[in-house]
Amino acid sequence: MPQHGPARNIGKTVDKPKNFWQTAWRLCKYMAPWKWFLALVFIFAIGSVIFQIISPKVLGEATTEIFNGVVKYQRLQPAKRTGALPIDFDKIKVILLTVGGMYLVSALLGFFQQLIMANISQKIVFKLRADLKDKMQRLPINYYDTHSNGDIMSRAVNDMDNIAGTLQQSLTQMVTSIVTFVGVLIMMFTISWQLTLIACITVPLGILVVALIAPRSQKYFAKQQQSLGLLNDQVEENFAGHTVVKTFNKEEESLEKFNEQNELYYKSSWKAQFISGLIMPVMNFVKNLGYVFVAVVGGIKVAHGNLSLGDVQAFLQYVNQFTQPITQIANIANTIQATVASAERIFQVLDEEEMQKTHVAIPDKAETEYKIEFEDAAFGYDSKQPVLKNLNLAVTTGEKIAIVGPTGAGKTTLVNLLERFYDIQGGTLRLAGRDTRNLSREAVRSHFAMVLQDTWLFTGTIYDNIKYGRETAREKEVLQAAKAAHADSFIRQLPQGYQTILNEEASNISQGQRQLLTIARAFLADPEILILDEATSSVDTRTEILIQKAMAKLLKGRTSFIVAHRLSTIRDADKIIVMNHGAIIEAGNHAALLAKKGFYADLYNSQFTTSA
Amino acid sequence: MFRLARNRLSTAAVLGAAIFMIIQVFCDLQLPTITSDMINRGVAIGNTAYIWRSGSLMLLLAFIGVLAAAGNVFFASTQAQQLGAKLRAELFRKVLYFGNFEMDHLGSSSLITRTTNDVLQIQNVTVMILRMMIQAPIMLVGAGIMAFISERKLTVVFLVSIPVLMIAIVSIMYFAVPLFKSLQKRIDGINLVFREGLTGVRVIRAFRQDHFEQERFKNVNRAYTQTAVKAFSLVSLMFPVMILILNMTNIGIIWIGGKLIATSRMEVGNLVSFMTYAAMILFSFMMLSMIFVFIPRAQAAAVRINEVLDTDFSITEIADPEKLPVQKSHTLEFKKVAFRYDHAENQALQDVNFHLRSGQTLAILGGTGSGKSTLVNLLPRLYDLETGQILLDGKEIAKCSQRDLRNAISFVQQKAVLFKGTVRSNLQVGKVTATDQEMWHALEIAQAKDFVKETQKGLDAVVEQNGANFSGGQKQRLAIARALIKPAAVYVFDDSFSALDFKTDAQLRQAMKTDPQTQKSIVIIVAQRIATVTQADQILVLDAGRVVGLGTHQQLKAGNQTYQEIMRSQLREEEL
Repeated sequence: MPQHGPARNIGKTVDKPKNFWQTAWRLCKYMAPWKWFLALVFIFAIGSVIFQIISPKVLGEATTEIFNGVVKYQRLQPAKRTGALPIDFDKIKVILLTVGGMYLVSALLGFFQQLIMANISQKIVFKLRADLKDKMQRLPINYYDTHSNGDIMSRAVNDMDNIAGTLQQSLTQMVTSIVTFVGVLIMMFTISWQLTLIACITVPLGILVVALIAPRSQKYFAKQQQSLGLLNDQVEENFAGHTVVKTFNKEEESLEKFNEQNELYYKSSWKAQFISGLIMPVMNFVKNLGYVFVAVVGGIKVAHGNLSLGDVQAFLQYVNQFTQPITQIANIANTIQATVASAERIFQVLDEEEMQKTHVAIPDKAETEYKIEFEDAAFGYDSKQPVLKNLNLAVTTGEKIAIVGPTGAGKTTLVNLLERFYDIQGGTLRLAGRDTRNLSREAVRSHFAMVLQDTWLFTGTIYDNIKYGRETAREKEVLQAAKAAHADSFIRQLPQGYQTILNEEASNISQGQRQLLTIARAFLADPEILILDEATSSVDTRTEILIQKAMAKLLKGRTSFIVAHRLSTIRDADKIIVMNHGAIIEAGNHAALLAKKGFYADLYNSQFTTSA
Repeated sequence: MFRLARNRLSTAAVLGAAIFMIIQVFCDLQLPTITSDMINRGVAIGNTAYIWRSGSLMLLLAFIGVLAAAGNVFFASTQAQQLGAKLRAELFRKVLYFGNFEMDHLGSSSLITRTTNDVLQIQNVTVMILRMMIQAPIMLVGAGIMAFISERKLTVVFLVSIPVLMIAIVSIMYFAVPLFKSLQKRIDGINLVFREGLTGVRVIRAFRQDHFEQERFKNVNRAYTQTAVKAFSLVSLMFPVMILILNMTNIGIIWIGGKLIATSRMEVGNLVSFMTYAAMILFSFMMLSMIFVFIPRAQAAAVRINEVLDTDFSITEIADPEKLPVQKSHTLEFKKVAFRYDHAENQALQDVNFHLRSGQTLAILGGTGSGKSTLVNLLPRLYDLETGQILLDGKEIAKCSQRDLRNAISFVQQKAVLFKGTVRSNLQVGKVTATDQEMWHALEIAQAKDFVKETQKGLDAVVEQNGANFSGGQKQRLAIARALIKPAAVYVFDDSFSALDFKTDAQLRQAMKTDPQTQKSIVIIVAQRIATVTQADQILVLDAGRVVGLGTHQQLKAGNQTYQEIMRSQLREEEL
């Protein structure tokens, strides 16, 4: 539940925003559509607090009435002290009803204020989330490749959470804390300025306490966070590498290292917790200090008839309310800082450069026999390291191109260029005679479909996943595609058939079956050009045969680029592109490349040096 | 939760925390009584000396109170952190000595969560328990007694306010808890769609489905927001309602108290103190209700931790294990080996027999799920057999000490795992005393020498967590080097060559063949590619856990159907 102790994170370290005011202002702009509601929220909050502050004083009047009755009674002659005390209950009734009304109004205002704020904050975060998702669509693939998923997810999840929480609570808390502090101060002054001065001693004391404790606890929290990170690293490493630890007999050694780190963590963590845990009781003590002095001095004043008892009672209640805002404000300041840092991380993504519409002054070739044509193409992921230089490759309709090379040779680079995930930087890449940069990305991609080894399917039904290939497809076509991909029979064997929901961990169908679904998806897309990534392993023999059959069927009559692992595919290809160290180093057909006695020849022959 | 804490928390320290808390609450409780005394005996009759005396007493009590609170915080934080540290260490030790059986059952990522997050969860709740949960009942009882002593007749107000408070809390919770549960599901939904948008960005764009993705996200985002608005609106009620009840109680106290005073049945000073006690009582109720929110969460974590700690080891050592003799040449024999995964209907392996001696290479070939990895996992006793025997140098491995056995076997997994450190520290895992020369030699055989040299620091090149700064193939080669540097009777490569390209694969096998160390040992290679296995002395072909062929490449090529099928799927007709 969202109510936390006021000292929850005073002593914790928080991320500091680089540009506080600018980011805060930008976050405020998100609230603009609700500014009138926000104004209402603040009015309600202030109103609620004011009623809360005034009511003790009014309630005190009731006590005073009673006390007056008692005093009057005691001043009477003992002989006349019979029957009830002369207390004016009519007056008390009026007072209590007034106070009751005030309490009710205060509660209502408080409730509506929180209600509106909960609505607004959720809607703001809704918008922020939608904006982020929208932005993700317009970011170049380069952004995805250079930022880890974990990092982006943490912005989309944790940072959003922080913002929602702060908007909902801390903002109004900040207002109410300040109003409470000022209001209480004023009320105390109206009762007695001497007592107020006494109570005020607690303020510098309270600030001193926070100022003394917070930095210390921050230091230990930082240490604790650091050693927790290292500890978690060790857990992860040893559990993931469990077999290695075991087969190399390293259990004791790992344990020793772990215990060392665990001890370090313990040493800083208990101190961090202890010191930050002290804030509350010490602040409480400061409060009690004020309380006692007020009680004593106030008592003496009442005894001398300078003050009413009800005023003392009200004053004591104010003293209790007085120190709380200090802790709360310190706490909220920290929270707000962390929130602005979160907002900054989200805005950072929103400010990233988007994909631009491109145009190059390269004229179309009116009539060309080539479906795809690289002409002196150049490309590099960063400007210093060109991956491709002077690539020339012309592919006619229906040709089969094999891409080969060792792992990590950058075979995906070619896929990236063809699908226009990245743009070439020099020369030209033509699709049916037009430079692809003069076409929209969607237009380029409408000519392609791809089947990758990374069998990405989304969490949803099998049917919807196949339909993903072409949104407008009819049911009959979806089923046909599944049949063509040899996926129909296994799908029908599943209890829910086509309505089976694929889960995220992909535990309900096998890897090979997923591959078949991606093939079905490509069938449905019915592209002119196909990009295929041959599976290397992890598929059982029977499914493997199905996949090969399906792929062969899919390839028929289409221009295709195949990231090839099988010799048969390579040798059957019309052209072979050889990649190494992220660059295309050779291109040509099998015979030509063999004759060249270059890298390809080497690669090809190595296959047979030991298996002859 | 309590079972976890019972043996791991020091009773003395918990008692200490409780005693300090009692002192703290006691002091807190005295303050109002002294105030009311001060009013009755000091203020009302103008006795200044009495006022000063009570003031000093209050100060003293406040001071003792803060000391006691510090004491409680001290015990609470040390105990909670100690509990965390102990649990973490116990879990870590337990998991390290798990066999693969237990690892499969619990899953390594789940075990990581249990050892990290779940323990943290327990730690945090323990602090809360040692502070709040001790405080709430003590305060409730204490304030109740004090209220009762000071004004028995006034306690009637609680007959109304406590039930009202309980009803308010329970009814808000009744609606809020399911809402928050579904909120959790909704947030999972948002995360899922967003994450899929990241992992599938290429596919999404290639199929021009951005629009569909946006729509999908909008739906989950809207669903979450709707639930969140509902849930938090409900929670907005909580605080104002509680304060209102508290305030109304005060009004009740003054009204009834006034009547009592009017009839001389109560002293006026008690009115003020009674209001303070009332606040404390209602406050303890609120605290208790919070605890009921937190305990179930910790309970879930505790159950997950207990599950790990209660798991029995599947692989145990016999009382008096045999020593493996140190000898120059080795033999390895599988005799009618059969194996079944936990509760599996079918055996994962059945009737596996073969015999190997030093210098021989066995290759194991088969599709996914055919039992190749399972077979080699039996060797270092990552799993135990169902029936049959495995004999190393004539001794049954189940009867040897696990330490001896694993010293004799060097094992490379399918997925390379490196540890944070340096290339050197990783190789030292294989052999602690290895010299630089030995290391370079192992790297050379593993075809890793070149890229290690290319990093300017050579053997001292940094290896990041999970070897993230090396490519898959490089990691695999480093893992192979680590295995090769270990002097062993049997070297096992569990599909370790698949991550390598043809050429590197071939060079590596060639280098191993000419290396004097591996020449003296038994080598077992699990493979997917025909090219990798053709030169082995024996090839074992597995299909669905059964041995469907054992022989040389030539023999199998001539007369084994499964082998031929695999060959056909990888090579063209004329290459066969």
